[in-house]
Amino acid sequence: MIQPLSDDRGRPWRLLLAVLSLVSLGMSILLAASLGEMRIPFEITLKAILNGLGWGDYALNPIQQGIVWEYRLSRALVAASCGAGLALCGAILQALLRNALAEPYVLGISAGASTGAVVVMLLGIGAGALSLSLGAFLGAVLAFVLVLLLAAKLNSGPTRILLAGVAGSQLFNALTAYIVSTSANAEQARSVMFWLLGSLGGVRWPDVILAVGAVGIGLVACLFFARTLDAFSFGEETAASLGVPVTAVRLTLFALTALITATMVSLVGAVGFVGLVIPHAARFLVGPSHTRLLPASILLGANFLVLADIVSRTLVPHQVLPIGVVTALVGAPAFALILYRTRTAP
Amino acid sequence: MTLKTHRVSWSIGRRLLVDGVTLEIPKGGIIGLIGPNGSGKSSLLRLLAGLRTPTEGSVTLDNDPINRLPRRTVARRIAMVEQHASTEADLSILETVRLGRTPHRTVLSPWTSRDDHVVEQALLHVGLSESRHQRWHTLSGGERQRVQIARALAQEPTELLLDEPTNHLDIQHQLELLSLIRQLPLTCVLAIHDLNLAAMFCDTLAVLHRGQCITSGRPQDVLSADLIHSVYGVRAEVSTSAHHGKPHIQYLI
Repeated sequence: MIQPLSDDRGRPWRLLLAVLSLVSLGMSILLAASLGEMRIPFEITLKAILNGLGWGDYALNPIQQGIVWEYRLSRALVAASCGAGLALCGAILQALLRNALAEPYVLGISAGASTGAVVVMLLGIGAGALSLSLGAFLGAVLAFVLVLLLAAKLNSGPTRILLAGVAGSQLFNALTAYIVSTSANAEQARSVMFWLLGSLGGVRWPDVILAVGAVGIGLVACLFFARTLDAFSFGEETAASLGVPVTAVRLTLFALTALITATMVSLVGAVGFVGLVIPHAARFLVGPSHTRLLPASILLGANFLVLADIVSRTLVPHQVLPIGVVTALVGAPAFALILYRTRTAP
Repeated sequence: MTLKTHRVSWSIGRRLLVDGVTLEIPKGGIIGLIGPNGSGKSSLLRLLAGLRTPTEGSVTLDNDPINRLPRRTVARRIAMVEQHASTEADLSILETVRLGRTPHRTVLSPWTSRDDHVVEQALLHVGLSESRHQRWHTLSGGERQRVQIARALAQEPTELLLDEPTNHLDIQHQLELLSLIRQLPLTCVLAIHDLNLAAMFCDTLAVLHRGQCITSGRPQDVLSADLIHSVYGVRAEVSTSAHHGKPHIQYLI
């Protein structure tokens, strides 16, 4: 298949694509801050954002100012960070595990986060001292550590790690189901399900700092490890013979992806499909080289989740859909299309 | 002589795969590792590449134990070509060969004209200069091996280790590939099954049997009917070829 963008001569096009996706990210965030239950004109949205940044001093309706700055902008920024973070983790894991189906939740992280959240939400463990997010974060980290222990040794092959992840996910999903079915009433069960499918409701500025921070760390790491990940193209043995300290790199990157994913899941729940589909879409656009693939995944993921959030808030009037529903509804057909377009001759 | 093993052993669980092998890799030329399936050829190659840590004994590179050297340092000296390299990634020949520069680059160092030059030479060596933009998954088995050899050459190694590089190739491509390896200006260690080809192309042979190196030397000194019978359990007649003067083996059944 011909991929002009992944070619040496595609450089100006890739730069153009990067600029375009940055512009579109800015526009999407503006759109997200403007659209919603109460439609606020772009001009006022822009002014409200400038006010919030301290770069303007426009006289605005304080309700509109509050909705744009406190509620919608923070929400859009968390959505962008989550999309970026999950897509980045997906791209890294697909390279490390050499498996097209690898994604941030494959190591049991989302299952662990769900259990952690449910334990706090329904059993009241931590008695208010532990927030839902912290419970989810701890659950995610615990699950990740358990999965790595289950994989026995880090130098065991990718297949073993994947299998350990599957087993870990099943275990934690069963725990979650057990707790929900024994301790929740109908209303609680519904809110748990809503949380599990991902919800951006209730995010505020402190969450933005956390999310942007996590993605920032991811960005630095991706610059640092991009070439190393390329060396994994032909497997771990070849990577090692190319001078990559395989075990150390794997441990570092697993821990990094686990922390980013755990942070995202603890903020917005288990938003599915982003970590799986976006890296494939990015690869389709810019090719397999990680110095391009990782930034492309970040930009594409951020764009995608901001737009998905807009759809989730506006598709059904007077109701917010779980964002996981939207990502899967859009993601699944897009994934099918990519699979169809990238199929290789048998 | 720079790459040596000293009574090196390696086992997985209770299975002893390499059993006290002491071997010096002579500088230049081709050394062939021969022996039946499971005799420890591949394992010994991985020990020589520093990809496995010996359970006993040591492998040294210029008298330094290879497992104590940073991986990057080793990768600039020793390159390895696997039996069956494969990838899911949609890489071109050029992109694959460029991977060979990995141990020479740091995180922030840009791609240099020297990198370009080395990659260019590697492509020329294996005769793939023209088809550099072809995608990996469109290549035949023989072409893939040549690409991997070019990738290994781009590491600028002094020692090249090859694990049964001619496996699954037809005879024309086997001969082509071995002639290509023969012309490389570095020390090659190769695991090989075909005794006739081993005799034709290798300067030195080391015979492995149940993890032990039972003999080594020039092909004409090593290959005998007795040795083949004791190692492979097969009757054979070894004569000197009228064409190339190397030992020629006919199997008797």
